[in-house]
Amino acid sequence: MLELRNLSVHYGPKRVVSEVDLTLAPGQTLGLAGESGSGKSTVAMSVLRLLPRTARVEGEILLDGDDVRTMSWGRLRAVRWAAASIVFQGAMHSLNPVRRVGDQIAEPMRLHGTHGSVAELLEQVELPREKARAYPHELSGGQRQRVMIAMALACGPRLVIADEPTTALDVVVQAQVLAVMKRLVAEQDLGLLMISHDLSVLAETCEDLAVMHRGELVERGRTREVIANPRHPHTAALTAAFPVIGDPAHRWAEPAPEPEPLLQVRDLVVDYGRTRAVDGVDLTIGRGEIVALVGQSGSGKTTLARTIMGLRKPSSGRVIFDEAEVGRTGKALKAFRRQVQLVLQDPSSALNPRHTVFDAVAEGLRVHGLADEQEALVTAAVERAELRPASLYLESLPHELSGGQQQRVVIAGALVLQPRLLVADEPVASLDASVRGEIVALLLRLRRELGLASLIITHDLGLAWQIADRVAVMHQGKIVEQGTVDQVLLTPSHEYTRALLRAVPQV
Amino acid sequence: MSRFDRSGLAGAAVLAAAALVAVLAPLLIDAESLDVTRVTADAWQPPGAGHWLGTDHTGRSVALLMAQGTGTSLFVGLTAAVLSVGIGTLVGIVSGHFGGLLAGALLRVTDFFLVLPALVLAIALSTVLPRGLGTIVLAIGLTSWPSTARMVRAQTLTIEARPFVERARALGGGHVHVIGRHVVPSVVPLVLVNATLAVASAIVAESTLAFLGLGDPTRISWGAMLHQAQLHGAVPQQAWWYLLPPGLAIVAVVLAFTLVGRALEAVVTPRR
Repeated sequence: MLELRNLSVHYGPKRVVSEVDLTLAPGQTLGLAGESGSGKSTVAMSVLRLLPRTARVEGEILLDGDDVRTMSWGRLRAVRWAAASIVFQGAMHSLNPVRRVGDQIAEPMRLHGTHGSVAELLEQVELPREKARAYPHELSGGQRQRVMIAMALACGPRLVIADEPTTALDVVVQAQVLAVMKRLVAEQDLGLLMISHDLSVLAETCEDLAVMHRGELVERGRTREVIANPRHPHTAALTAAFPVIGDPAHRWAEPAPEPEPLLQVRDLVVDYGRTRAVDGVDLTIGRGEIVALVGQSGSGKTTLARTIMGLRKPSSGRVIFDEAEVGRTGKALKAFRRQVQLVLQDPSSALNPRHTVFDAVAEGLRVHGLADEQEALVTAAVERAELRPASLYLESLPHELSGGQQQRVVIAGALVLQPRLLVADEPVASLDASVRGEIVALLLRLRRELGLASLIITHDLGLAWQIADRVAVMHQGKIVEQGTVDQVLLTPSHEYTRALLRAVPQV
Repeated sequence: MSRFDRSGLAGAAVLAAAALVAVLAPLLIDAESLDVTRVTADAWQPPGAGHWLGTDHTGRSVALLMAQGTGTSLFVGLTAAVLSVGIGTLVGIVSGHFGGLLAGALLRVTDFFLVLPALVLAIALSTVLPRGLGTIVLAIGLTSWPSTARMVRAQTLTIEARPFVERARALGGGHVHVIGRHVVPSVVPLVLVNATLAVASAIVAESTLAFLGLGDPTRISWGAMLHQAQLHGAVPQQAWWYLLPPGLAIVAVVLAFTLVGRALEAVVTPRR
């Protein structure tokens, strides 16, 4: 049905895809894995000729025997959506916020003159038909992604291309969306080309797997075999990057004795208007201890972290740091903030695009009026964060660095104040698989060498298994279970923890 | 070189020429040649060898008047723009950063000025206040800042929602730090672009006020020339040389500022 022969794509002199051969038959599911910049999305977009004008495409792209490259404009329009459709990444941005989703699902049907009913499509993706009248902001992330799937199916295509369909979703919702896609592919005998950086997601849905690296197809085969016996080193790196819960080889944290408490949260309550985001939380982090706070989006874990940092006022409850209650204003809070540092999820937005690495790292020093030896302190922190030699990086602007390097800069900016606790909100979620491991290792090394405690907020149970000493599970504002990693992840006692663990895709 | 670069350069060249004329004119032009009691030429002379752009109703050379008026128009345009952009930036940043009651109050004031017809307010102000350049600058500056304030506030809100501001807060940074290190540097390019456009509209506003006879009677400006021309019957005299040059000069300078603003905008938009 789909056949790519010798496909190469250039942007100017830069070759982003080189000589890719792929075939996909009806009813077949193919996963395309790779890191950012590997060319996987470019391959997918070339199928419907959706690449920008500046792209130069060579080779053949045969869709049911017709070459997409040489199709007339009218024919191409007819083929788009009716023969092959796309589930775009990030349903939040791909839906028009001011139109009802029903109208948006009906749009391709109207354009192509196909008959069908929006209600039926919604039922296929397990949404109630009344949702057709909803606007995108009234739907949750998972529901929006289902709307995108319904839209992709509107004209009865035989090929569906899904570009990172579950990337922004948490585990439970991801499992639901993947289940819907699997069922639809089986029922309607669709061909599915699914693109993801997450091998476990592809393993869950696709029979075949192709791995791309720097624009080249490095491996192709049955998913089970590729993951079990990767032949290319890059595939091996990708498989190793996703920790298997319960596998001692993926557990990187060394066992530590029960430490003295450093930060204690007592009966903390945070309200947003009438909604109670954090509902009576007790949490203790020991000196040099790494605690993972896991939960779905909306569970209140980020609000809890912000409140601990003093970025948000609690409605009631106490935060005790080093045996003294943390002040909520002025000097006391400023002193506390020197000891506790925040590492945010997306390093590209956590750095001011106009500030050089030096400025970004030195910001904390300037805030606290530590002007002496600024240069030496910044250099030391940057090297601690493993950007060596520091002089290579200090004058760079964030956009000149890779995602992993940016995250190291954020970590250096935290380290420069010699904190005792890091609060990291999804520190590796937006990083590529190979970089992810390095950042996890860095956090563990900092703990070992500096005795730095961490509170890691994540929806990724694999990360918790990899790095944490203790795990706290948060659900609807409450901590429903906490204990050592082994207790919580291997012998969970709360039903919600079990549900979370079940939703983790298995490689 | 892109299209914007070229048009921006053209604009900059026009501005440079205008600035040169504005600076040199008062130095080179003899005060006597602009004194109505001492000019020797006849009134309403068409352009010719003696007077490149002809003469006005009193026999003064239109070319010399034009040169002399350049300075006034540019001066009023620039200072009024600085005043208006300054007020707008301050109000915008303060209301965007602090929020709450203060922002509410500031925004209502902004809205008040936004809905007032600026020209009518400027006319009212220049009628009440003593006549002079200062009054005109004040009248234009005080009526044109609300749009800048709105825009700067919007930009401030966008920047403050970015994670790097949260990071700065978590580092312990206070208001001064967040505004000084993050908000102002990201607002400045926008403000600069806006300022060039504000200059353009201030020049038009000055011309309008002067044309309506509300300008400084002791100074020559392009708007004032149009006012005089209209007052003394340039149209029935068919003295196109008295009407066209100031009008075209206003168009040229305003267009030049706009082009430079557009080009600047393309330059200062941050790379990501």
